[in-house]
This record gives sequence, structure tokens and C-alpha cells, in this order.
Amino acid sequence: MTDLVKENILLNAVTSAFKIEGKVIRDRRVEVHADKNTVSSILLFAKKQLGYIHMNHMTCIDWIEQGEFELVYTIYHPVDKLTLFVKTRIDREIPVMENIDTIWDHANTYEREMREMFGIEFPGLVGEHDFILEDWDQIPPMRKEFDTHKYAAETFYTRPGREDAKDVREELSKRSGTVVPDFAKKYSRE
Amino acid sequence: MENDKNSQKIVDYIGNFARKHSLFVLAYGTGCGAIEIPATMTSRYDAERFGIRGAATPRQADVLLITGYLSTKTLKRVIRVYEQMQEPKYVIGFGSCTVNGGMYYDSYNTINGLDQYIPVDVYINGCMPRPEAVISGFVKLQELIMAGKANNGEKYRENLEHYRSNQKKIIKNWKMPDYNW
Ligand code: SF4
Repeated sequence: MTDLVKENILLNAVTSAFKIEGKVIRDRRVEVHADKNTVSSILLFAKKQLGYIHMNHMTCIDWIEQGEFELVYTIYHPVDKLTLFVKTRIDREIPVMENIDTIWDHANTYEREMREMFGIEFPGLVGEHDFILEDWDQIPPMRKEFDTHKYAAETFYTRPGREDAKDVREELSKRSGTVVPDFAKKYSRE
Repeated sequence: MENDKNSQKIVDYIGNFARKHSLFVLAYGTGCGAIEIPATMTSRYDAERFGIRGAATPRQADVLLITGYLSTKTLKRVIRVYEQMQEPKYVIGFGSCTVNGGMYYDSYNTINGLDQYIPVDVYINGCMPRPEAVISGFVKLQELIMAGKANNGEKYRENLEHYRSNQKKIIKNWKMPDYNW
């Protein structure tokens, strides 16, 4: 096990510069939690000062119970081989986030996808509104309140013959004599 | 076409015999199933001994092979491709996803049941079907052709209203050329 020296140096550099929280996840993985207004400055700082010149990925998680979207920016240092996750939370009701495709051009693609799949607006984002979906007129499909099962049953023709399909989770738990945990029950067929 | 003795006319027999042995396939590689096509076509399974081979464009193809799930966006392209094909034309649905949605039955963006939108001659089930199954599906299609029962192009033309209404239910913004039937 390494002693995580590089990781702690990076964590200190970012957290002390912006007075934010963060932690070392494991070797080569560091995460920091930022306010949505400071994210772009952190990314710019990491890119220009620390050498995190590559953005791997940018993604969104829907925390419907807490009424928030979490955005995760994954950036990478090709020499130190360190990955930094910058995480931020935005309001689910007014999902607006700063557009960062001036820092990395390819953020444009991720932002367009998030605009389509989660309905997050990025002011100043240039690009067609239709990205992967065509003529979509429902709420954005990756939001958790979107009932994909119901939508599919209403929109697409269902061939008879699936009625006696067994629920895999329940069948397996019956066979092995374990109990299905509560949080999994709402995904069961019945 | 049948003659008064309830069997095929001799010209149809000859025509069907020729069609059966030269199936030009347009493999519309959607979904995961497309990965089985190279295996089917190359030396191990050698589908060409049945007269099955690839075609470059829809207008040169006899068989449209749909190899898996179709998103609504792809369905639009598939319909256009299908309508461009010359008759006689056949469709093979490949994999559970084309039969009833397969594991994507509750997805917001993939269709369940290809035969609601274009007529399908042969379904090959399996997730995904092995090359043996693919070849057996083609052999089944050859039997149908030989018996003169594979005339779905005609069926599509006759029931165009039905298919169009199903297609338009999915494809809301219908901006497609009308081919002259
Ligand atoms: S039937 Fe299975 S292998 Fe074929 S496209 Fe669907 S999921 Fe993929």
C-alpha cells in the first residue's frame, strides 16, 4: 500500500485554495465537494496551475429524495496519473449550471446529453436541442420520476406471453432462502 | 401465383428456385446481434454455400436483416431502407429484442415487436442467436420462398395504412419521402 503522498498534496492544494471539503478515495483517486459557483474556477485552477489538462468525463446523478442533481467532473493528470473528481449539487427544481465548454471543448457533448436526459440548462450552450432522442415530448427520460415501464407499455405494442415471467430477484431469494431487502422491493414485479 | 391445379406455375417455380439460391442480405447492424454476422459469413459457418451474401445498398438487397433492438430513431431509418428495397423483399428479425423487446422491453426508446411496423418473414429467437440458428432461419426463409409464401412486400403495400398508423404513433415528426407504390 502506498502512503498516498501525491494524493494528499493534491487534496491540500485544492481544498486550501478554495476552502472546500474533500477526501482521498484511494490511491490515484481524489474527490472534492464544491459549491456550484466555484466549480469552473476549480476546474480552471486544476487545468492551468496543477496540470489536469484532460477532462475524462462529466456526469449527473439524480438524488430525487434530496431534491438535487449531483454533477461530477472527472479530470485527469497525464503525468502524475491522478484523477480528480469535482462534485457539486444543484437544485432539482431550477437545474441550471455553468457552461464549461470554454475550458474543454468536448464538455459541449456531455452538456448537451445532460440537457436532453436530465433537463439541466447550461446558459450559453451552443448545439441542437435534439441530441440522442428525436422528437421527445415527455419529461427528460433519465429523471427518476419518469416511469419508463409505464411509458413503454403505453407507447409500444406489447406481445402477449410475458405475464408469467418470474421476478428474478424474488426467485433467487426464494431459492437461496434469503430475504429481499426493503429498498429493492419497489422494483419487484408485484 | 397458383394455377388451376393448386400448385405453382412453372415460371414461378423457376423464379422462386432462383431467388431462393441467391439471397442478398442487407445486414442492418443494430443492437448487439450484428457481431454474429461476420461469424456466420466467414469460413467457419460459411453462409455463402446457401447463396447468402452481403449487399451494398438497399436497392440491391433481397433480405433485410434486423439484428437486435431498434430505437425509435433507428426505426425511422429502417422504414426508409425497407421502402427503398425492390420486391421481392424479405425481413428477418434476429434476436429476442425484435420479437418482444427482449431485455429492453421496458425501455423508453426501443420498440417491442418489429412486426407492428414492417412485416417480418422469419424470426430467429435467442439472445443472441448463434450462427447455426441464423443459418436455420435463412433455410426456413428459403422454404417459404420455395413454397411461394414469402410475399410480404405485397402485404406491406396492401396494408400500408395499418403499418403507417403504427409507425406514425412512434415517429411523431413524420418527415419522410413518399415512395411511389
Ligand atoms: S436479443 Fe439480446 S443480443 Fe440481441 S440485441 Fe437484444 S439484448 Fe442484444
